[in-house]
Amino acid sequence: MSGLSFTLRGLWYFRASYLGVLAGAALGAMVLLGAMMAGDSVNQTLRQVATARLGKVDAVLAGGDRFFRSALADDLTTKNAAATVAPVFIVKASVTAQRSGRALGNVQVVGVDGRFWHLGPSGTLHEDSADGIDAPQERKFFVNECLARSLDLLTNGNLISNQTLVLRFDKPGMIARDAPLAGKAAEVIALSGNVDRVCDDAQFGRFSLETTQMPQATVFVPLERLQQALGLAGKANLLLLKAHQGESHAQMLEKITHSCTLADYGLTVEEVPLANAVEIRSSRIFFDRKVAEAIQQHFPAAQPVVTYMANSIASNGKSIPYSMVTAVDTTAAPFLPDDKKNGVVLNAWAADDLAAKPGDELSLTYYALDGANRLVERSSRLMLAAVVPLTGLAADPRWMPDFPGVASAEKTADWDAGVPIDMKRIRDKDEAYWNAHRGTPKLFIPLKTGRELFANRWGEFTALRLPAAVASKDRVTTGLLEALDPAVAGLTLQDVGAQAGAAAGSPVEFAGLLIGMSLFLIAAAVALTAMLFRFHIEQRNRESGLLAALGVAPGKILRWRLLEGLCVVALGSGIGTLLAVGYTRLLLGILETIWGGAGGQRWLHFHVEANTLVGGLTGFVCLMILVIWLVTRKQARQSASMRLEAGNEEVTRPNPQRVPWWALGYAAGGIAALGGSGLLGEAGGFFLGGCLFLSAGLGVYQWVLRRRVAAAMVRELTPQRLAELNCARRGTRSLVVVGSLASGVFLVVAVAAFHKHDGDAWQQRESGAGGFAWWVETTRAMTRGNTHPEADDVLDLGDARGRFGRVLPLRIGPGDDASCFNLNSVIRPRLLATDVAVLANLGAFPIKKVLPGCAKSWDCLRGGRALRAFVDETTLLWVLKKNLGDLLIYHDEWGHEFPVELAGMLDGTVFQGSLVVDEVGLLQHYPSADGPRLFLLENAAGSAVPDRADLQRALADEGATVTSTRDRLAAFNSVENTYLAIFHLLGGLGVLVGSAGLGLLTARNLHARRYEFSILHTLGVPAAVTRRVVFGEAAQIIRWGLGIGVLAALVAILPNLSGGSITQSLGWIALLVALIAANAFGWAWLGYRRQLRHTLGATQEPTPQ
Amino acid sequence: MTRIEVAGLVKIYETPGEALRVLDGLDFDVAAGEAVAIVGPSGSGKTTLLNLLGALDRPSSGSIRIGGEDIGGLTAAAAAGFRNRSLGFVFQQHHLLPQLSVLENVLVPRLAGNWQEPAAATESRARELLDKVGLNHRLSHLPWQLSGGEKLRTGVARALLNRPRLLLADEPTGLLDQAATDQVADLLLQLNRDEAVTLIVVTHNAALARRIGRTFELAQGKLKEVAR
Repeated sequence: MSGLSFTLRGLWYFRASYLGVLAGAALGAMVLLGAMMAGDSVNQTLRQVATARLGKVDAVLAGGDRFFRSALADDLTTKNAAATVAPVFIVKASVTAQRSGRALGNVQVVGVDGRFWHLGPSGTLHEDSADGIDAPQERKFFVNECLARSLDLLTNGNLISNQTLVLRFDKPGMIARDAPLAGKAAEVIALSGNVDRVCDDAQFGRFSLETTQMPQATVFVPLERLQQALGLAGKANLLLLKAHQGESHAQMLEKITHSCTLADYGLTVEEVPLANAVEIRSSRIFFDRKVAEAIQQHFPAAQPVVTYMANSIASNGKSIPYSMVTAVDTTAAPFLPDDKKNGVVLNAWAADDLAAKPGDELSLTYYALDGANRLVERSSRLMLAAVVPLTGLAADPRWMPDFPGVASAEKTADWDAGVPIDMKRIRDKDEAYWNAHRGTPKLFIPLKTGRELFANRWGEFTALRLPAAVASKDRVTTGLLEALDPAVAGLTLQDVGAQAGAAAGSPVEFAGLLIGMSLFLIAAAVALTAMLFRFHIEQRNRESGLLAALGVAPGKILRWRLLEGLCVVALGSGIGTLLAVGYTRLLLGILETIWGGAGGQRWLHFHVEANTLVGGLTGFVCLMILVIWLVTRKQARQSASMRLEAGNEEVTRPNPQRVPWWALGYAAGGIAALGGSGLLGEAGGFFLGGCLFLSAGLGVYQWVLRRRVAAAMVRELTPQRLAELNCARRGTRSLVVVGSLASGVFLVVAVAAFHKHDGDAWQQRESGAGGFAWWVETTRAMTRGNTHPEADDVLDLGDARGRFGRVLPLRIGPGDDASCFNLNSVIRPRLLATDVAVLANLGAFPIKKVLPGCAKSWDCLRGGRALRAFVDETTLLWVLKKNLGDLLIYHDEWGHEFPVELAGMLDGTVFQGSLVVDEVGLLQHYPSADGPRLFLLENAAGSAVPDRADLQRALADEGATVTSTRDRLAAFNSVENTYLAIFHLLGGLGVLVGSAGLGLLTARNLHARRYEFSILHTLGVPAAVTRRVVFGEAAQIIRWGLGIGVLAALVAILPNLSGGSITQSLGWIALLVALIAANAFGWAWLGYRRQLRHTLGATQEPTPQ
Repeated sequence: MTRIEVAGLVKIYETPGEALRVLDGLDFDVAAGEAVAIVGPSGSGKTTLLNLLGALDRPSSGSIRIGGEDIGGLTAAAAAGFRNRSLGFVFQQHHLLPQLSVLENVLVPRLAGNWQEPAAATESRARELLDKVGLNHRLSHLPWQLSGGEKLRTGVARALLNRPRLLLADEPTGLLDQAATDQVADLLLQLNRDEAVTLIVVTHNAALARRIGRTFELAQGKLKEVAR
């Protein structure tokens, strides 16, 4: 017989006794591995979603509101710059299904050709179909499953034939609609076609650049048809690229740069014979500042020109309406007198009209944008320096850029300049001037003055001229290509593959979150398992003593015990691993209730990584063995004689004199942890504080137990006293059960207190809804042109306007939804920009905390060196995992990095998942940003409360999605409450484990003490007294467990509770505590019942085993 | 053959609030091959003395030399090795391992790991010992299938497996009837005679003490030899 066979024999013989250890190990392993497997599953699903979203696309060249040649894809393919390149045109549209009449806003319309599907996950569209069609043809559309479901295009999963969709979208302008002189405010295009196919995930139906697991409703249309409809033939705003094997991002960018032409940068080069110069123009009218800088750097001789429309030029009581004014230096306009640098020059026609002569004062009025992006009329006083004849270069209509809606107008009545024009002011002579001279400037002003007056966020210059003597047209063209690159021109190459991988590749985070949630349960399971193991070891004290007496070294006995423990724990963990599969599926099911699947399908797929399995299992077994070693080593150190004597009793020597200073230290540590939650994070502070308070409570309990042993000698023996003594006699067991119960209770109570309650608080300004009733997102960006002149009413609400109060418009900047609805790891949340002065004046939304030195007001966002942002607490703590003062790095319109400083924390607002910044600050980085697409609306005071359908109807043309702020907050709360429900479930399991521990403890104690109870029975002590002793012990343990748990929870959550929420939660907490107590008593009763017969039947002292 | 020399032996148990002096400066010698009985009232420290002699516990002060070796200063591992090499224990409560058969219970000392004898030879000796104590027909039985006397005899066989120089028996007949008591007493004395094993028996049984011969009485921490 070897040590191993001796150990195995012991294992088999004591198998029943080891069942509890086995069960505890299985539970602990199940919970731990389940959390890790759930993490793996979520992340694997996210990776699958990322693959489905991006297929084989490694990078995209994104133009945003800039358009480049779709033929750039061909050039790149010819030059072998990438393995596959597909040009794409993406616009947002609202879509209506004609048959059902159902409509959907914010639909992604993707113009594609066959190359698009070569980049899909399967590399082809018709892998399993014989039709051979590789792209939608002519008037056919393809849609994805998400859209098909949303618009009821399917029956039994199959496409209903002859479904016609009507797409409505804005015609994009060459320049932002917000810009002055941007032309027609909005032009809605309708495109209809029959749905020909529903693309599933393998067929790239999930294509989207947005980092979210939620599928985006998408319609695929023929690229050419979309280009024609948009009036942008041959253009695209997105290139999808699959890199060659091993090719770097930088290498790809270099090849793209070499393939780009001026058309891709939106530039043209033309000769200006009258000026004997070569002129560079931008299709965006105003040169992007960075483009202008690059050109001026390359061509120092480049002469800037700014031409702008004045509302009036007035002098001597006379006025000329709507005239072009050109700002230029004398080098580019030699006809200007160079000795009067600060003066302005009228052409002879204008001077005659105004009867002006040099030295007269001119008044110039023109439109500009104010800080809140409102169009305002400004005026300036200028001194007339000279008059030039309307001949030669001074009479060249080419000074005027191709202002949309103006340049091509036959007559002034056709002008659609994008600014208010009073046609009544236009005289016949003005019409005649337009007919004869088109946009020839009537006034020339110094370049410096022009820059001061007309510069806007889109740029300063409308042309750059180079003397022909300096560079020919060809040289300029070549030089421009050398000077520019895609980034300068606002075309950014994004490494979407890596970004998607990073967003989906955060397994530790999700698994960590679930492990964090399960921590108390795992700890309870481990503690209970260790306690049961110790029971077992104590049960075999005499065996150990005997082995020691026979000369087996104590170390060897301990190793045998640990080997037995290892076998049981390994087996239990193996069983736990199998159970973890089911437990993981349960967790995934709960998680799916938060995020939902497309069409209610299960979309979180079970997955486990080998590393997780091996690592988790090994780690758990090691942890268990470590804990078992910790609890048994002390026992193993006892002398053989003591172990022979002790039998199955705990071998300890209480020291009642020791004051539990360390418990007080734990309590102080807990307070420090709560106080230091700024450093640890609130969750970290709560958990650490909670653990320390629990430890402090257990320390006090241990001290009380020791005191009781000491006091036993001087107090009268009663059943209650006997119960107390019995608890103290087996102090470690009592401590473990109290600890398990307290942990579970702590979690359940704390979580109950954190439960979010929905209410009517949204009507208050200081609520999470800020007093706004509606959250409206439109498909089309709204601009001044769409609307009434009132600046705060950019929504076209028509007759319904009177039923609503204030409208707060917000621009949607770059970034992803970082709310709790997005499972992906978001690095840059969506930026929302508004005029924060409005919010500051209203005192809207609860600002929980701001940076030191900042006022607790929205005005704080207008200070600082970096762009400042307010962020919702949930997003800050749980998604970004950042602190106030941290910087997030964004990329501006040209792909350059800039920091956004997290300056303040909002408390549970509708802005969860976004950063709110000041509009002016945002526009500095994104001058081409669209107009507002998000609006917060108040209900009008005193009028009937409108319902959601009213608003939805009123905004049908805008493709609006209307949500009440109350519903939005409730949805966020429901996510948090689901997390809390998981916490509750785990806490409940912890309570069950603790209670089961109590039951086991009762049964074990009764078993171990059956002789003692039998003696009492023999001595005529009634069963009722025995029961009182037994239940007295259970009651004491329950009291301490509940007391420590509830107290620790209340202290730990105190800093996070507002008066309202604790009041609402108290009833629920009281009920839970009562249920837990009843449950624990139930288990104790079961344990009592189980042993009762054996106990009272025992007549002799138990023989040693 | 092993001589026992005990000098100034003190054992104190620390309890809350007081120190209990169980053995208070014992001095005695036992010659090699001698048989000694130790008697005394319950709680007088007989088992404590036996545990100290068996290196199961450590003295608070004083020395115990067995065969010239001071066992008081041995480490736990060294003490275990000493017990495994030199001592045999017979317990009142026999302490048989319930999961092992009678034969295996006798072989338990071999588990210590530093056993010099080949396994087959040890097993053969175990069988001989069981034959000697009259249990050769119970080799594969489990402890619960044995009577009290049989359990004790199994314990005796186990105590002799290592050919001990000193056999320590703690109330070996305490749970036995008269017939079984006589049987066990015969067995122990026969071993003492035939194998020249030094024998120390702690007992309440005056008849057994008389049969053993030299008797010490332990009372109030002091040991005195009882005149015959």
